[in-house]
Amino acid sequence: MLVDVRNLVKRYGDLLALDHFDLQVVEGEIVGLLGPNGSGKTTAINCILSLLRFDKGTIEVFGQPMRPDAHDIKRKIGLVPQNVAVFDELRVEENVDYFCGLYVRDRKSRRRLVEEAIDFVGLNEFRRFFPRKLSGGLLRRLNIACGIAHKPRLLILDEPTVGVDPQSRNRILEGIRELNRQGTTVVYTSHYMEEVEQLCTRIVIMDKGKTLATGTKEELKAMIDGGESVSVEINFLSPDDLAQIRRLPHVTRAYYTDHRLSVRYDGGEHNLLHLLDFLKARDISFNRVFSEQPTLNDVFLEITGRQLRD
Amino acid sequence: MFWTLLFSLVLATFFYFAFGNLTDRLESFNPIGVAVVDNRAYRNDARLRQVLASLSQPGKGQLLELAEVSEEQAKSLLDTGDVAGVVKVNEKIELVVRQSGIEESILKAILDEYVFMSRTVMRVLANNPAAVREITDRKSYTEQISFSNANPDTMLGFFYALMAMACMYSSFWGLRNTIDVQADLSARGARRSVAPTHKLTVVLADALAALSVSFAEVLILLVYMAFVLRIDFGNQVGYIVLTCLAGCVAGVSFGSLVGTFVRGSGSVKTAVLIGLNMTMSFLAGLMWAPIKDLVSRKVPPLSYVNPAALISDAFYSLYIFGSHPRFFINIGLLFMLSALMCTASFMKLRRTRYASV
Repeated sequence: MLVDVRNLVKRYGDLLALDHFDLQVVEGEIVGLLGPNGSGKTTAINCILSLLRFDKGTIEVFGQPMRPDAHDIKRKIGLVPQNVAVFDELRVEENVDYFCGLYVRDRKSRRRLVEEAIDFVGLNEFRRFFPRKLSGGLLRRLNIACGIAHKPRLLILDEPTVGVDPQSRNRILEGIRELNRQGTTVVYTSHYMEEVEQLCTRIVIMDKGKTLATGTKEELKAMIDGGESVSVEINFLSPDDLAQIRRLPHVTRAYYTDHRLSVRYDGGEHNLLHLLDFLKARDISFNRVFSEQPTLNDVFLEITGRQLRD
Repeated sequence: MFWTLLFSLVLATFFYFAFGNLTDRLESFNPIGVAVVDNRAYRNDARLRQVLASLSQPGKGQLLELAEVSEEQAKSLLDTGDVAGVVKVNEKIELVVRQSGIEESILKAILDEYVFMSRTVMRVLANNPAAVREITDRKSYTEQISFSNANPDTMLGFFYALMAMACMYSSFWGLRNTIDVQADLSARGARRSVAPTHKLTVVLADALAALSVSFAEVLILLVYMAFVLRIDFGNQVGYIVLTCLAGCVAGVSFGSLVGTFVRGSGSVKTAVLIGLNMTMSFLAGLMWAPIKDLVSRKVPPLSYVNPAALISDAFYSLYIFGSHPRFFINIGLLFMLSALMCTASFMKLRRTRYASV
């Protein structure tokens, strides 16, 4: 177990930020902490890193209690904070070199690691630039480079893609996957469910400082009643046809409003195919067809009654 | 860094143009034009004629430029502004001027002195003729000497105050360092707090860097004042450099202390630091000189714990005194105060976990 958080409680005055929060991270995982803004993700991370005082609970990292002066543990951790943490007065390569230098003393090794980090995040062309000259996406890449240069065993990223363009975002996510393939365990916090679904091997959904659910994305989606959701644009559908559709296998809900048929399934396979076959057999003409799988937002909605992005 | 240096250089330049040459201007004097009505009474007053003639003798001490003319000519010269005043001797000596100014005041002072001395001499001659010699025999019992092989210049105090201010600017570097090392104040602080580097190493490295930069700025200012503005610091330059170094160390330490112990955001800490710097500078007499003396007499300990007062007093003791015990006491106190402030800051910063980040 790389990270073992048990029964963590943290209060900010009257506000209970972490409410008996648990988190276990096994080596080799990419664990996603998913929750809306204010759910306690960053607070949990800061407690794990020994930046925040907490009121109750235990935190062990690499099998040892985490403390502000636990340098042997800190040596193995890399952090990519939510806010860009670089020096405006230093160029790209100087920034990476500085932060790598806090972990790696040997100049020759450090030189190699800095080159690898800059190449990894794709900032070769920008190595002589000052941070204020970089776009938001490039700045985020620099932020990541500074956190990974020393090749940490445990990498913690706190919402690293906020305000980033799609190209940079994809690059960042691919880079994290590559790091994981190279052996780095990753803890990734985000309120973007698409990223977490795409990237993480295990997901912890949290809200109001509590763990609501944990598991792979398939396990989490299996927790809720809802399965696939299909919408079809139909000019006219008789009540009799609608009743027949409701009797199709695995259909839990079906309704027709504003020239749109919406059908919800509770599992099964090839549901869309069966529905379209039915419509063809009844000679019912249709236009566009939409099919959606359940999302983590659906899971969150099922558990809390709220959207992830409320 | 750029703006604190630029501001100091610009201020030094303004000081130079405002009063850098003030003593020179005081020493260069143009003789005052005066017309005397050449009437019978004037021709009969040999003493007055002798006095006016000696004051208008060409040379270094020439005070007047004399024109003995008729009354109409004198009036004309006064109207055209060629003379500052017209002296007319009748039963008493009259001075006619067109306006009130420095030259007119000097003329009046000369004539008033002449009338006073004449009457005094006449009275003494009537009562005790032997004492007349003592009235005219004037001696000076003071002599100006310089301890620093430079011409003592009261304007130098302003430039010393400017250097003290530049030293205290280094406190902003100290503050910036503490913000960059505290996780609840900056993302950089969070990242550095998570790194496996001993806090003392980080704090010391930052302090050395801040000291290097701020000391370099003060040296640039000193070189600018000495070689471009040609301010004469005499043979005390080495001591001035030492004062600047001690001042920068104190400034960085003070900024670190404020950044560590004052609660609030970076903006709040900056505001508090500015306020404290202004207060310390005021109490050190850098804005209004009499305050320094008042504080020394009424609350002496305050002078010994105020870095701005210690810096300015170190400069002052260089300027006024020939020996250096007082100077070295100030320097020693500056370094001691800095050590205390640094130690307090570090003890607070190490092993810190925050209530909120």
